[in-house]
Amino acid sequence: MSIEQKLQTAEQLLAPWNKETIRPEENRLDVVIQPEALHEAVSVLHEAKWGYLSAITGMDMGVEAGQLEALYHFCNGPAITSLRVRMPRNEAVVSSIADIIPPATFFEREIKEMFGIEVNGLAVTDHLFLPEDWPIGVYPQRADFTNEQAKAMEESHVDQMPEPGRVGENTFVVPIGPQHPALKEPGHFSFTVDGEIVTAAKMRLGYAHRGIEKAAESRSWVENLYLFERVCGICSHTHAMAFSTGVEQLAKVEVPMRAQAIRELVAGLERVHSHLLWLGVAAHEAGFDTLFMYSWRDRETVMDLLEQITGNRVNYSANLLGGVKCDIGEEQSKAIKEGLSYLETRIRHYLEVVTTDAMFLNRTRGIGTITAPEAERFGLLGPTARASGVMRDVRVEAPYGAYIRYPVSLVTETNGDLEARCVVRLKELLVSCFAMRSILDNMPDGPLTARMPRKIPAGETVARIEAPRGELFYFIKSNGGEIPARVHVRTPSLCNWVSVLEKAVGRQLADVPMLIAGMDPCFSCNDRVVTVVDSATQENWSWKRLREYGIEYYSR
Amino acid sequence: METPARIRNRVLQPMNTLTSFLTLLIFPAGVTLILMGMFYEWVDRKLVARFQNRVGPRWFQPFADALKLLAKEQITPAIVNPYLFFGLPIFALAGALTAALYVPLFGLTPPHSLTGDLIITIYLLSLPTMCIGLAGWNTTSRFSLIGATRALTQLFAYEAPFLLALLGPALVAGSWQISEINDYAIGHWLILSQPIGFIVAVIGLMGKLELPPFDAPEAETEIVAGALTEYSGRGLMMFHLAKSAELVVGLTLVSAFYLGGLTGIGSFLLKTIALLFFMAILQSLLTRLRIDQTVGLWWRFGAILVLAQILVTILLKG
Repeated sequence: MSIEQKLQTAEQLLAPWNKETIRPEENRLDVVIQPEALHEAVSVLHEAKWGYLSAITGMDMGVEAGQLEALYHFCNGPAITSLRVRMPRNEAVVSSIADIIPPATFFEREIKEMFGIEVNGLAVTDHLFLPEDWPIGVYPQRADFTNEQAKAMEESHVDQMPEPGRVGENTFVVPIGPQHPALKEPGHFSFTVDGEIVTAAKMRLGYAHRGIEKAAESRSWVENLYLFERVCGICSHTHAMAFSTGVEQLAKVEVPMRAQAIRELVAGLERVHSHLLWLGVAAHEAGFDTLFMYSWRDRETVMDLLEQITGNRVNYSANLLGGVKCDIGEEQSKAIKEGLSYLETRIRHYLEVVTTDAMFLNRTRGIGTITAPEAERFGLLGPTARASGVMRDVRVEAPYGAYIRYPVSLVTETNGDLEARCVVRLKELLVSCFAMRSILDNMPDGPLTARMPRKIPAGETVARIEAPRGELFYFIKSNGGEIPARVHVRTPSLCNWVSVLEKAVGRQLADVPMLIAGMDPCFSCNDRVVTVVDSATQENWSWKRLREYGIEYYSR
Repeated sequence: METPARIRNRVLQPMNTLTSFLTLLIFPAGVTLILMGMFYEWVDRKLVARFQNRVGPRWFQPFADALKLLAKEQITPAIVNPYLFFGLPIFALAGALTAALYVPLFGLTPPHSLTGDLIITIYLLSLPTMCIGLAGWNTTSRFSLIGATRALTQLFAYEAPFLLALLGPALVAGSWQISEINDYAIGHWLILSQPIGFIVAVIGLMGKLELPPFDAPEAETEIVAGALTEYSGRGLMMFHLAKSAELVVGLTLVSAFYLGGLTGIGSFLLKTIALLFFMAILQSLLTRLRIDQTVGLWWRFGAILVLAQILVTILLKG
């Protein structure tokens, strides 16, 4: 089915509630509906199996307009249908759709906390991102929010015990995080256990929340590129790529093929780096430290290659708006090929280890099994979904950039257990290595950058990029100025949480770290105003002060 | 009127007491054992590190760790019974050190030897685990509780097979006395005639010491440091030293029984370190077992195999 046909089907399905239809871009359909009609409209789309809910974007149209908007984005291959719900600012209410689509609960909690859109029927109303003592009725992503409003409530419930230790005769709550050896980044889970068996699971995010989306609204397009690169340390390139792709779409700038090829190449190397890192962490969680040490040693190879190409090991900063910064010469091409051959032999070896090591299989085979229908229901993304046999990969479904010219094949497994997740990730790396070789062998000639305007034409766009953890979703809105009006980032980890919480119940506590690691969670991705407090003076530092300090520090 | 025997007693008694003190405090038990424990701990850490492609610690690291812990503040949780909280580490260390008095450390004749000292040693070696279990229960932290439950569950899993594995050599030697079994083993490499017993004994020792893959009671990714989560400073140090001493005693026992006996310091070092090398390989190769898998492994395979072997030994001997 072509994109056009898909969008027509969606339009017909939504006809009864349709107030207005907008076609912002070739592959997108915006349908404006009443808040009351939302639940029904979503269930019709869901029953017709028209794509999956990819994200819910909240938007404040400003105090003058007096309106809030919530956009429910459904993706079906390259086609995107967005349900646009417009609400008055002072009484923004929608009904929850989590009963139809479980992962929506996290998106709904986000718009509730950040925009003050009341969601009726939400099962859990605790804060997901904001601190417990955040003042009531203050919503940080609204247009009229000021820093002065963000004073902590005097009567905070922080002093109260957040949760009971013992909840029954034999059951008690085991807190994991925010500081815990199993977590490499801060997050909080509480598992109720009866002996060794988990009977309930809860989670809380936001410990690494930096307000990047809000910060983006006060920075120029170029500055933002560097900001979004810092959403995540592991997939920084993917974030920069998603942001620049979105901005290029808005500006209608064609990026030169050579630049796109280099972007794909760096993304491929980043994937190798990310998956090897993941393999090590997963092995460590299972108590197999030897595999952890070896996979991290081999990861150094790819880190060195990235350093050789871009000059950086972590935030590579390879992208520019309209192209890339670094070229691949003969020498680098040779080094990458050598590195890839080494990595390929190692990856094949690890593939053998994770499928044949009896002791490791004890901890992975048949554990945390997610069937394909369950994966669909949980709205899983990325390798976690592919391990359950769900064909979901943006690079294949909706190829972008150089993936049209240098395609990758889809890797799926059917078992859906932890072993399948290991296998999918490793096989995916072999596919990536193959694609990288074909790029190096047929590197297109041409310039590295295209000219970008300083002001980006008004409009809205969606950029979807396959990050190592799954589909990364960027919604970018421009008012035609030098700074974006709104950038919404939905990272793959946020979609995958539901599966962990659901699957942990009934399992042993010992399997929980593996289940958490199994979906390769990235907390800083989830949580996106740095407050630096000088401990000597107890003074809050402004951005300017922090910048001056940085310059002072490095010029010493 | 003093008889010559009385004179001898009066003169020698203080010397005997002095010798006993020296035996207990300095050589072969006491300080020497603690230093040996640190050395073996270093060997183990270094070997595992090299197998995992890491550099590993320098030779004085365990000593530095102990010194650091001594200097650190010991935090006592408000809810604990203080007598137990301070007493348990002492008991654990004392148990492990006392066990050393009955084994041929350095290939020397044990300072104390009596009929049935094998049983005493095995029970003294269980003392540190018991103390860790109690310590976890006493501190009532959620991680400690789970760690303690796991430590004690594991104790019930490996203890019987471990005992049976040491029983095999005792049966063929016809004695319950460690020194006599050692003497018998000098002429007989029991690893050849009772291979299953040897494997079970080594793996049992790893279970006792909570080394990977039997480190579920202190699995850091789930329950932080298990039963010892609330311990810091001296208490933690003593538990660590108890573990190290237990390592030396356990290695001595298994190599004396199965690796052709211990005749002197040379054969002691060679055989115990060879055994440690083997254990380090197992530690690096194996993935941590869940506690239910540990119990299953011991009772489904370990216990049954070693029982079968004992049966064969008895039949052949009879």
